[in-house]
Order: sequence, then structure tokens, then C-alpha cells
Amino acid sequence: MQLGFLVDLHLCMGCKGCEIACKVENEVPLSTWRLRVKYVDVGTFPETKRTFTPLRCNHCENAPCERICPVSALHYLDNGIVNIDKDRCIGCAGCVMACPYGAIYIDPQTQTADKCTYCAHRVASSMMPACVVACPVQANIFGDLDDATSNISKYIMKNQGGVQVRKPEKGTNPHHFYVGGGNVSLNPLASHRPDGHSLFNKITTLPVGGHH
Amino acid sequence: MAAHEILAATNAVVTLDVAIPGTVWPWLVTVNMWAKSIGTGVIFMLFLLLKRYPDQVGQLRFPTIVVSIIFIHIFLLFTLADLHQPLRMWHIFFYPSGSSAITIGAWMATAFVGLLFLLAYLSFIKKDNAQFDKTLTWVVALAVPVTLYTAGLMSQCTARELWQMPTESAQMIFAALLAGSAFMILLGGNKLNDDAKKSLSNVLALSAFMSFLLYMAEYFFGPMKAEEIAAVLEYIKGDGPYTVMFWLGQWMAYLLPILFIVLSRTNKSESILRLAAIFALVGLWLVKHVWLTIPQLLPMS
Repeated sequence: MQLGFLVDLHLCMGCKGCEIACKVENEVPLSTWRLRVKYVDVGTFPETKRTFTPLRCNHCENAPCERICPVSALHYLDNGIVNIDKDRCIGCAGCVMACPYGAIYIDPQTQTADKCTYCAHRVASSMMPACVVACPVQANIFGDLDDATSNISKYIMKNQGGVQVRKPEKGTNPHHFYVGGGNVSLNPLASHRPDGHSLFNKITTLPVGGHH
Repeated sequence: MAAHEILAATNAVVTLDVAIPGTVWPWLVTVNMWAKSIGTGVIFMLFLLLKRYPDQVGQLRFPTIVVSIIFIHIFLLFTLADLHQPLRMWHIFFYPSGSSAITIGAWMATAFVGLLFLLAYLSFIKKDNAQFDKTLTWVVALAVPVTLYTAGLMSQCTARELWQMPTESAQMIFAALLAGSAFMILLGGNKLNDDAKKSLSNVLALSAFMSFLLYMAEYFFGPMKAEEIAAVLEYIKGDGPYTVMFWLGQWMAYLLPILFIVLSRTNKSESILRLAAIFALVGLWLVKHVWLTIPQLLPMS
């Protein structure tokens, strides 16, 4: 079994329900996110469009974070999830530096690395991840990539030409796919990022592990 | 903000997102790398001097080992200080992961410290120079991977395209040779004759030249390889936030020391040579800090 995620960006409407569900389910502290939705505006008035891109850990098959972790705090589960053992983490932040997707952060409460685990605790109880349950338009599709009859496999087969991953050139083989994505939604270098246009207007950089 | 890839036609702007994380590996890591360069570099230089000028360097055995022990401990201390859970450092030895350069480096650095104390014992208590010199060969052999492992660690940072393994490993070795020769010039003082000082200044000038060459190659040709490198190097070009520090470092670590070494030879001035050594050591910190910081400024998502 290899669990994976697919987000149909045609369906996502940027409600951030997944973001909130994740925060609540995993008790993610203030100023940190396991999952977030990025808004990118494209075009010039009146020809404008807004894109929404949920961003989370990609649970790579060839995960740089797992490789660089000196104490195997980041490790693979049998179902392909890249999990984290916070009791073992020494907080070296090597994983934060290695992850090409910016998906790992230092938890300011525990001072250890943390990230999306595809809600491994819920999956272990045969439940869907919290973000999947919360999505009102079923834009998040979660399932077994090894099972050709699973929803995610069917979705990938149906949209073969349009299935993308973030930064494929890194060779990480993400288990997280997007349908309907474009350069501006998946490539961070393809859009302007002016100061003051973020979730926190006056805050341009977040403290690492709560330290200023 | 790097914006070279943004097409005017799309005019794409991030309008809502979380702020970019601050610098994850701060100046503590710069000190770590800088101190390690000195700690292993002086060992390389002691080995070189013992081979070429055994009569001159006898008295430098113990002081050099003390310097190495001090700087390797600064390196270890700042490594520990950078951890968010420093009290769990022991996990590296009890739950090691062989795929991580951090683990390999920690094990090697520990063995290196043990050997340094053995050398200190042989020179200060046992006063056995023959045994010291024999052991030093093994310590030099271990000093090479101890110097290089940080390059391995940086190359394992898949997110930071700027840090490529062949280049970084060369930079680490040149940094150790530069720092080691500079420190030995200061440490040796009047105990070294002109030939020995000339050898050290040759190492200093050559390692400075080669390092400068590597940085300039990256500066001019790096952007042609990958858009991420081009975006990162924007921070040290034009009015980028690290342009001044980058060039200050290049001048202080590499260009001025080369110039001072030439001047010290034409004027037969030992003071100018010492100045070259001091500039090289200070400049090396700046250079390493800029190179450590700029890839961390780029948004990853």
C-alpha cells in the first residue's frame, strides 16, 4: 500500500476549510501550518483570475527529509506515509533545510520538527485525513496508489495528461499530485511575493521555532 | 525578491499566504563551519610543516593541538547551541541514521576529538615526538572527511540548489587550508623561519585564489544552470540585501590577503603577512555566512 493525495485545483475554491480542520485535528500551534492554501492572483484588471493551491507535505518516495534526519525521527510507515517521531527529534532543522516544498516547520511548543502526516493516526483507524473530510467540494482525493480501483488511481488514470507534482526536477517522487495546476500555482518563483500581501500583513518572516 | 521568472503576461502575485520562515540555520551554523575550518586546517598545516621543516616546528606540536582542540570544541558547542533540543544530542549516538551526513559527521568529529586528546597526551605528558608524528598521519587522514562532511550535509539539503556537492567539498577543503595557514602564520610567529612562513603564505594565497575562483564561477555561471540558483544569487547582485557583505567577504578573505602576501614579500614585512592572515580569518566568516544565508531567503512554496 502506498497512500497518496491528489488535489483537483479545478474544484478548490479556497475556503481554507482543510486548513482549519488540520489545525484543529492536529493541534497545530499558532504561526505554524501543516497545510495551507496559497492564493495567487493572475492577470491584469479586468482580465484577472485567482488560483488556490493547498500545500502540504508531499510524502515523497525519495524523501530528502528522511535521508537527512540524523536520528530517524522522520521515517516511512509501511503505507508510504513519511511520519515523524517528535520524541526522538533533536531539532537540528536539517529536514526543514532539505524539504524543497517548505512543508516542515519547528513546532514552537515542542521545539521539534513537525509536518503533515496525512493524519496517520486517523488512517490507522480507517478514517480519512481531517482535510479530506472537511473539503466541501471533494477537491482532496486520498487513497492507495497501488490499488488500481481506488479513487485516486482512477482520478490519475482519467486525467493522465494533466496530473502534475511540485518540483519534479528534484527527483523526490512526491506522493502528492495536482490536477489543473499551472506554473503560477506550483512554482514559487513564477509569482511576485510583495511584502504585506500575506496572511499577516505586517509580518514578512515567521520566527523559527518561536525564536525571534 | 527574485522575480526573473515572472512573466509580464501573467502578472502573477501571491495575495494570500503565510509569511516566509525566517533563517533556519542562523549565524551559529556559520561559526560552526568557520571554527571547524580552523580546527582541522591547523592540523593540515602542522603535518605540512613537520614534513618540510621538522627542525623548525618541534615546539609547535603542542600549541597547534591545543588550538585545534579549542576550535573543534567551539564547532561542537555551536552545533549543540543550534539544536532546538540540545539535551537530546545523545540520540545521534543511540538512534543513528547512517544515511545522514549529520550522523556520520558527529561520529567522525567525536573520533577526531579523541585523537586530538591522544596527540596532546603524546606531546605534553609522554613527550614522545616519534609516536606523535606517527599518530598525526592518522589524524590528518580523519581530518579530511571531518572537513568535508558539512559539504555532504549541505548537498543533502535538496531544497537549496546553490549548495552542490563537488563545489562545496572543494570550498570546505580550501577554507580549511586558508584558515589553517592563516592561523599558523599567527601562531608560528618568530618560531618559524622565512622558508616555513613562505610555505604557509603560499598555501594561504593559493587557497584564497582557488576559493575566489569557485565563488566567481558560481556567481557568473550558476544562473545558467538552474532558475533557483539564479533567484538566490539575486540576493548578492545589484542592490540585493547581501551584496555588500558578499563582496566585503570576497575582498577580506581572498583578494586582500593575496595582495598583502605579495606586499609582505616585496617589503619583507612580517606585519603585513600577519595582516593578511587576520583578514583571511575574518573574511572567511563573512563569506561563509552569506553563502549559508542566501538560499534560505527563497520562498519554497
